[in-house]
This record gives sequence, C-alpha cells and structure tokens, in this order.
Amino acid sequence: MTAVVETEGLTKFYGPKLALDDLALAIRPGEVFGYLGPNGAGKTTTIRLLLDVIRPTSGRATVLGAGTRDARIRARIGYLPGELALEGRVRARAYLDFVADVRGGVNRGRIDELAERLDADLSVPMGRLSKGNKQKVGLIQAFMHEPELLILDEPTTGLDPLVQQEFLSMVREARASGHTVLMSSHVLAEVEHVADRVGIVRSGRMVAVEDVAALRERAVRRVELHFDAPVPREAFEGLPGIRDLTVEGASLRCTVDGRPDALIKAAARFTVVHMVSAEPDLEEIFLTYYSEEEAAHARAGA
Amino acid sequence: MPALVRKTLGEYGRALVGWTVGLSAFLTMYISIWSSMKDNPEVFTETAVAKYPGALRDLMGGMADIASGAGFLQAIAYQLLGPLLFVMCAAILGNRAVARPEEARTLELTLTLPIDRRRLVLDRWAAMLLGLLAVALVTLCVVAVAGGLAGMGVPFGRILAAHTGLFLLVLFFGTLALCVGAAFGRGQAALAVVGVWGVAGYVVETLGRNVDAIAWLRWLSPFHYYLDGRPLYQGWPAGDYLVLLGATAVLLATAVFAFERRDVGV
Repeated sequence: MTAVVETEGLTKFYGPKLALDDLALAIRPGEVFGYLGPNGAGKTTTIRLLLDVIRPTSGRATVLGAGTRDARIRARIGYLPGELALEGRVRARAYLDFVADVRGGVNRGRIDELAERLDADLSVPMGRLSKGNKQKVGLIQAFMHEPELLILDEPTTGLDPLVQQEFLSMVREARASGHTVLMSSHVLAEVEHVADRVGIVRSGRMVAVEDVAALRERAVRRVELHFDAPVPREAFEGLPGIRDLTVEGASLRCTVDGRPDALIKAAARFTVVHMVSAEPDLEEIFLTYYSEEEAAHARAGA
Repeated sequence: MPALVRKTLGEYGRALVGWTVGLSAFLTMYISIWSSMKDNPEVFTETAVAKYPGALRDLMGGMADIASGAGFLQAIAYQLLGPLLFVMCAAILGNRAVARPEEARTLELTLTLPIDRRRLVLDRWAAMLLGLLAVALVTLCVVAVAGGLAGMGVPFGRILAAHTGLFLLVLFFGTLALCVGAAFGRGQAALAVVGVWGVAGYVVETLGRNVDAIAWLRWLSPFHYYLDGRPLYQGWPAGDYLVLLGATAVLLATAVFAFERRDVGV
C-alpha cells in the first residue's frame, strides 16, 4: 500500500526563518491522521506545501501518487484552510456552484444535503456570515466532491458543539468509504475521537507519531475504590502498573499505567461499593512525550 | 467560457457597470458642449490658447484646433482625461486579478482547485480583457452617436482607430497592474507602478516632443504609441498599435512566469 501523502526531508524557510525542518510524513490510505502542534509549529506550512500554495526550500512531497505541482490531483482533494477567507460579495450558493464547475462531476444534490446537515444558509453574501457559518461553507466546499483525500486545517474553529458532532460524523463517513483524512489541531481532544494516528509537530520538527489506540492502552488513569470495610495496604502493594498508592481506611486511590487488570483482580477479594475511574487524559501523555523529546533533543544538541 | 473567466467577470460586473456609466456620462457631457462651441470657433480657440500657456498647452496635446470637431474630440476624449479615467479603471481591474484576492487571502482556495497557475493568470486576464472590451465598445458607441448628433464631422473609421488605440493603451496598463500583482502579490505596488509609469509616460510624451534632453524617453512611454500616430486625424497607426500589443503580451508572459514560481499569500 503506497502512502496517500508522503514527504521526505521537507524543509521550508521564510527568508531566514526556518518554518519546517526536514519533515518526513507518511499518511496511509483510509486513515484519519491528526496533525497536532501549538500555533506556529509548522502545521499550516506543511499543509500549504502539500497543496502547492507555497513551494518547499528543499525536500519533496507527493500527494495521491503525484507531485504537488500537478494541478489535476487537486480535483481529488478537499481542502479547508486554517484561516478561511471568503469573497464577501459572493453568495455562498454561487461560490459553491463555481467550485463544483471547476472540479467537474460534482453531484449538486450533495451541496444541498451538506448544507442541510450543517444547517448552513447559502443564500446570503458570504461577507455577512458569522465565523461559524463561514466555516460551514468551507466544510461544504471541502466535502462536496467526496474527495479521496481531505486536508482540514483546524476544522472545528468557530463551530458550535452540535455542528462539531455533525462534522465528526462526516469525517467518520469519509473514512468508512475508504477516504483518507489529514486534520490539524492544536489540541488533541479535538481529534482523539476520530483520529487513528496522531503526529506532533513542534518548532518545525515532527517529534512523535503515535497510534491513538496504543496511546489509550498506555493511558494513565486515576482510580478510586471504596470498600465496605477497611482494607490492608499490603494487598495492593507491588501490583504491576500501580503507582502513587494511598489507602485510608475503606478507600483506596492510585494511578494505573496501562491495563487496570491486576488492580481489579486484587480488589475483587473485598467488597467494592463504589469505583471512580477518570477518563485517560491523552493530552497529558502527549505532553510527557513532548518533554521527553525536547529533553533528548537538548541533550543531543549540548 | 471557462468557469474562472465567468466567475471573474461576475466579480468585475459591478465595477464595470459603474465605470461604463461614468465614462459614458463624462463623454456625453463634454461632447454636448461642442454644439455651443462650434458656432464661434475663433473665440473658443483664443480663449483656450490663452488659458493654457506654453508647456501646459503641450501637456494638453497642443489645443491648436480645439474648435474643430476632431480637435475637440481629441482634447476631451482621447488626449488626457479619457485615457486617465479609463486607465484607472483598467488598473483597478488588473489589481483585482491577483494582488487584491491574495491580500484578502481568498486566492488561496482558488489555487487549491484543479486549476494550474498559468491557467489562473490567463483566465483572470481574459476576464479583464473582456470587461475592458465591453467598456470600450459601449463608450465607442457613445462617442460615435453623441459626436454624430453634435455634428462633429469626424468619420467613424477615425473614431474607431482612436478608440482602438485607447483600448490597447488601457489593456497595457491593466496588464501591467496584473503583472506586478502576479509577481509580488502587493496591490499598492501594482497601483504605484501603473501611476508612476502612466504619469511619467504621459508627461514625457507630451512635453518631450519639444525638449531634446528627454525626447528619447518617449520610446519608453506607452502614450507615445497611442498619441504619436494621431489616429483621429490620420487613421490607423498599425505599427504603433502592434508595439502596444506586443508589450502587453510580454507583460502577460512575465506575469505567468513570475506567478508560477513563487509562494502565494506569504
């Protein structure tokens, strides 16, 4: 299986400023790839290089098996820019019709269907739309031709929670029909529910690429157990994956790395009346990654 | 018609209607004055010549025969004000081809459609050409009809020759604005280049006629190839017009070449 998006040594300078440093990225067919990083890390630069809006200083990128310079492949890509700007005087309907004409072979019914799903008004000049409603027009133009590759730069900006849910289900549908999605964000929480893999970029460098399922597996959980009578601390000491154990009378608190299996089996010998397990915070794991990478980088540099 | 040309014409529509109405009103108004002038030509010629001394008269294109039909038409429609207004219109459209949408960041989405950079520039240019052509055709009719009604006695062939020159001049400046915008993505720069080259070119062509030190500069002035052949009096200056066309083609090729090679919206 060849990658849908593949970059090698992709580097971009804006004048003397290094925006992207030797980026290697491979996005597999049919996956949803979350592209994460703080603002200014190089996410938008990468995306604009993939769409040939800007040109790399060095390195190369292929998208859907062709060089980025090939305009024809862009008919098979749906793109939502991070800073979406729409022509103020043009009505959304007229604009979407134009986009459909240029791409060719777009089913017009699809525009109405998406407008209905997102509750978008296509009849007013786009300059009068609120930020969230503009974003809906941006989403419609990106999704309307059911492209093989969706490149979405901070797609949920300005959307209210209901529309965000609808958007996420659109992404899931795209994946279900075998399409590939590259989606950037500065927070993991926005992509963790749809992404198969996530990559973190920082200061123009890719610092980690991880499987979301594997991350969950490794997730750190805070667990609280309450028993009907005081329990001996010794019964829980030394269990694999258990840290920060505190036992106070009939209640127990600890941190679980990965699977909570050993803890559950140990607790089963007593009568459990109540159990609290916090959602694993993937963000936290990621930040750990960040700092480890940074530290490693700093050591290598020193 | 390609979708992008149609779309661009739609964007230009409002401006095109405005400029067509404005230019037509301007031409009709001035041509209608003619009927009150033609009865005492001596008085008007004297007044006009007295009002504009020496160099200023050169700048206005001589004005020696302001009281003749062709002289009057040349002075008001084809010498200074007509081209000035029409060139402004072209510069604004040329600026809106690449630089303005790039600065407004709306060009980014257009670029990510399956249209290559060359097509984008050529389609935007074609829309500008068609728009300017429409304005030129309407104003040509206005001049011919109003001039005929006022009894100016200028043959239609000559008006057509002069108007074609005006269109080519305006197309040159519109393409210049588009070219600077395509190369640098800066609207202010595009308008500045058109303004400076336009004004300097006009001054050099009109004053340079009598000043040897700058006479050679006239070759660099687009106005030279528009005014020097005196089409309203002598008909088609085919060579001059071909120079204007050739220069426009060079600018357009430069625009494509530059736009294909640079980062957009940085």
